[in-house]
Amino acid sequence: MANTETVDLVEEKAALMRRDVIEMGYAAGGRGAHFGPALSSIEIVASLFFGVMNNDPKNPTMADRDRFVQSKGHACLALYSALGEAGYITEEQMATFKGDGSFLAGHPTRNPQYGIEVSSGSLGNGFAVACGMAKAAKVKGEGHKVFCLVGDGECNEGVIWEAAMNAVKYKLDNLIAIIDRNFVQLAGTTKDIMDVDVEALWRAAGWDVLVIEDGNDASSVLEALEGMKDSSNGKPHMIIANTTKGKGISFMEGSLNWHARPMNKDQYEQAVADLENA
Amino acid sequence: MNKAALDKLQEWSEKGHRSAQGDTLVMLAADYPEMVALSADLTPTARLVEFKDTYPDRFFDVGIAEQNLIDFSAGLALEGLRPFAVGLAAMVPMRPAEQMRAALGYMNVNVTVIGIEAGVRFGPLGNTHYAMDDIAVVRAIPNFTVIAPSDPLSTHKALYACIEHEGPVYMRLTGGPGYPVMYPEDFDFQIGKAIEYRTGSDVAFVSSGSLLSDAVGAADILESKGISTRVVDMHTVKPLDTEMLDKVFSENALVVTVEEHSSIGGLGGAVAEYKAGVADAPKQVIASLGDKFQKLGDHAFLMKENGLTAPDLAALAETNL
Repeated sequence: MANTETVDLVEEKAALMRRDVIEMGYAAGGRGAHFGPALSSIEIVASLFFGVMNNDPKNPTMADRDRFVQSKGHACLALYSALGEAGYITEEQMATFKGDGSFLAGHPTRNPQYGIEVSSGSLGNGFAVACGMAKAAKVKGEGHKVFCLVGDGECNEGVIWEAAMNAVKYKLDNLIAIIDRNFVQLAGTTKDIMDVDVEALWRAAGWDVLVIEDGNDASSVLEALEGMKDSSNGKPHMIIANTTKGKGISFMEGSLNWHARPMNKDQYEQAVADLENA
Repeated sequence: MNKAALDKLQEWSEKGHRSAQGDTLVMLAADYPEMVALSADLTPTARLVEFKDTYPDRFFDVGIAEQNLIDFSAGLALEGLRPFAVGLAAMVPMRPAEQMRAALGYMNVNVTVIGIEAGVRFGPLGNTHYAMDDIAVVRAIPNFTVIAPSDPLSTHKALYACIEHEGPVYMRLTGGPGYPVMYPEDFDFQIGKAIEYRTGSDVAFVSSGSLLSDAVGAADILESKGISTRVVDMHTVKPLDTEMLDKVFSENALVVTVEEHSSIGGLGGAVAEYKAGVADAPKQVIASLGDKFQKLGDHAFLMKENGLTAPDLAALAETNL
């Protein structure tokens, strides 16, 4: 069991991050934002940044930091909100999201001084790059871990499976990947677009797989991550976290309409009210 | 330079570019502890068996998976290793082009991607195994350097230059068994710095890859007819050596670019793009594989078919002068 203090901290940060996602996304105006996939992954990212990872916002490139690669780059607001709440980036920088000349694009761009390890958004590639980073740590005898957030729709990509096989071959047990299993991708449900047994596929590929029933429950996520982080069983680790797309916002939860779009004033006010009443 | 390379030149010439490349990677591994090599199920083809046997912990075969070959290399490089990823030129830049853009170019990482058997060297295997568009694909990706060395020693020296270079490199290798030694002695190889192989004031052949020997052969023919001919080894296709091109444009009456690549997007295209902004530049003719899929045939047949032999190149220049 994760200790109560850590669970409380992660829950507190998750609430702040949800508010950041709404504020940053609303401020982007007509440019819109990927609200749904950011909100489903909040507890996962919060658990990593505020519970599990060895990291230091004051020393963002320290050699023994744990690495976080957000392969589902479209959910960048989950990452940016964590970077903001942790102190890697300032409130002023957060306010530039998607603005002209900002370094906070709609998909992350590598920027180690601000805690962004890998450019992503071209789906599948962040995961494969993370596997290379984990292998490099093995080659160099370094003990840090590599965490990678993957989308369930993202698992449609061929390179995911090229990398999945390779990670097993090289016994990358210092790699902990998490699938944000929110059951909705861009054009429909994962069942409608590509109906596969995700768990069976990852097990068949040879990964150490753990399914958590509620990936929006900080306690469950922390417990899973801590268990995987301490495991050196010779297999790469995969946590399939069942989540709710748009989690926390009444009109977004499970909706096919809130993968990515602009938010109007009425919707913004409703979203803020939802978060205040949570 | 690794002096052992000079003793290998004749062997590399006899065996072709794959051996020059494979043997050099072993030398690099000895000299640079951070260097690692990768292939996608091509270990014997890419002459990497010795590397694998000598440095088993620094050699990674990712299986027949070119997209992952590139992404995995990027991850290794982000953590400070110096990956050299070897694949068939026909497959590697084209299939994982998006990985080369997103993971190598955009993050500007230190990965060298080597495409062996570029051009139509794989003749009898047919068009799926021809690399006629690889320069075009990679040249359009920002931050990439593109190198096409001309002979065994320039391949060796180019690989040593790559490991000291910051940013991603694509190296396309041409020249099969029996390709000539153009540089028998140590020489100064710098990325982006073309070599004036021969001076001359009428025609200028600007060549990339192993066709340098054919350009020199064409120059011999033209010289015998009293036509003064310059030959430039433009081993780096990106960035172009524009200083050398300025000299050519101001001193030569005709420029013939020579490459075993499509007429679109290769060396000829790159020179034409630069020339478009130069006032009073001379006429340029692009000697290439054209814009077409090829007939089946061995390399010599295809060179003849495409007008890339020394007599063909000389005739092309004479016609256009």
